[in-house]
Amino acid sequence: MNSKVITVTSGKGGVGKTTVTANLAAALAMMGKKVVALDADIGLRNLDVVMGLENRIVYDLVDVVEGRCRLRQAMIKDKRQPELYLIPAAQTRDKMAVSPSDMILVCDQLRKEMDYVIIDSPAGIERGFRNAIAPADQVLIVTNPEVSAVRDADRIIGLVEAEEKGPAKLLINRLKPAMVARGDMLSIEDVLDILAIELIGVIPEDESILVSSNQGMPLAMSGANGVSAGQAFRNVAQRLDGANVPMLDLTYKAGFMERLRDWLAGGN
Amino acid sequence: MMAQPDQFIRIRGTRDGLLIALNPGPFADLQANLAAELTQKEAFFQGSQVTLDVGSLPLRREQLADLQDLLSAHKLELWTVLAESDLTKEAAQALNLATRVAGSQTDLEGRPLSASTFPADHHDPSGPPAANGLILKETLRSGRSIYHEGHVVVIGDVNPGAEIIAAGDVLVWGRVRGLVHAGALGDDTAVICALALAPTQLRIADQIAIPPATSPDKLLPEKASIRNGQIIAEPWQMR
Repeated sequence: MNSKVITVTSGKGGVGKTTVTANLAAALAMMGKKVVALDADIGLRNLDVVMGLENRIVYDLVDVVEGRCRLRQAMIKDKRQPELYLIPAAQTRDKMAVSPSDMILVCDQLRKEMDYVIIDSPAGIERGFRNAIAPADQVLIVTNPEVSAVRDADRIIGLVEAEEKGPAKLLINRLKPAMVARGDMLSIEDVLDILAIELIGVIPEDESILVSSNQGMPLAMSGANGVSAGQAFRNVAQRLDGANVPMLDLTYKAGFMERLRDWLAGGN
Repeated sequence: MMAQPDQFIRIRGTRDGLLIALNPGPFADLQANLAAELTQKEAFFQGSQVTLDVGSLPLRREQLADLQDLLSAHKLELWTVLAESDLTKEAAQALNLATRVAGSQTDLEGRPLSASTFPADHHDPSGPPAANGLILKETLRSGRSIYHEGHVVVIGDVNPGAEIIAAGDVLVWGRVRGLVHAGALGDDTAVICALALAPTQLRIADQIAIPPATSPDKLLPEKASIRNGQIIAEPWQMR
């Protein structure tokens, strides 16, 4: 089966890796794909919370790796999407409980039955990060339009290249078009100027993200159409699925940002 | 379960290149773990100069030579051995390596680089730097550290958080936004040229310059050199 393992990482914490993982997994599942979201942040798990599946956890990733359960037993079925699963991280262990080769083994098994494996990486550049990118076919770098997040993203891109997992793709999260227009926030161009990798999407800042995370309902499943974070996530999922036509993505993105700017200018 | 390499060795980048610290342990294990770690990260470390911190671990000359061979097999050059034990220090000196006592590590990061960091007979600071050049056809991203005892040419950008430390000149066919140190062994005739010069910091020989807060965003080729004891950057013009 032509399945794809995508790792979501960033270097810096708090830029939205977990939110992006949950929403892309949800959006891909809504497109009829078989998707599993895998939480590689052992010891600080929260993908289960954002996906609203916390109370269903019986087995976790470390149980699978250490042979206490079969892989299928650790896969929690989503309550809304029939083909969406979650493999949670262990909360009581640390990153050393899993090795990069364990991750490759687990993902090779998942590839047999899934279309997409989306891995949520922990922050940092140590063992947890190496675990998360080891099985990746594609690395997705999440950054915010701010200097420190971009600096860390740059470092991560270098490390991903060194591990021969490149070229990574970039997702800019939490952009506030109004602030960019005032010159108070890095623009998409500023970020791309430094990072110089392919942009796969831009997610606008949206208060409903916080609400949906707290409710355990990824916004991609419920969010409004038009200019919203939910729609932006659904668009990124489409692009990920049609990775064979990258040029279309670029033109679409430019149009999207123009509309976003116009809409905000008109709304003020 | 086999012990993880991380417990035996720690590798990090410093101003002087790579610092590899060995924790006390059986020599064979240390060697095997170092080999594994270097193989895994070879592409990333390549070309760096290495300071080996062996702590209190006593190493014979043969053992140190083995480590040196292992490093050079991975295109790394052993320059300095930090050791507490006299045995190790003598072994290092016999192999023509610089020695300083472990614990002076902070010098590696804080102090401006001087010729004394290098083994005395490896270099004559009054003479011109070795006339070899290093060409890098890639963008240096945050965290990359290039250390070269000659000239460095980069075809690509030098991003914030990346650094180049060269004994000779540094030429960047791209934007400089990170740190560049030319003439790092004391050559104050060294120059830094770039298509756009917006560095975090520039250093030539023992001079340090911080660019004005508002760096121009456009591409403007500039050449920086020392004039009257100060680093001056001037636009490059066709004559």
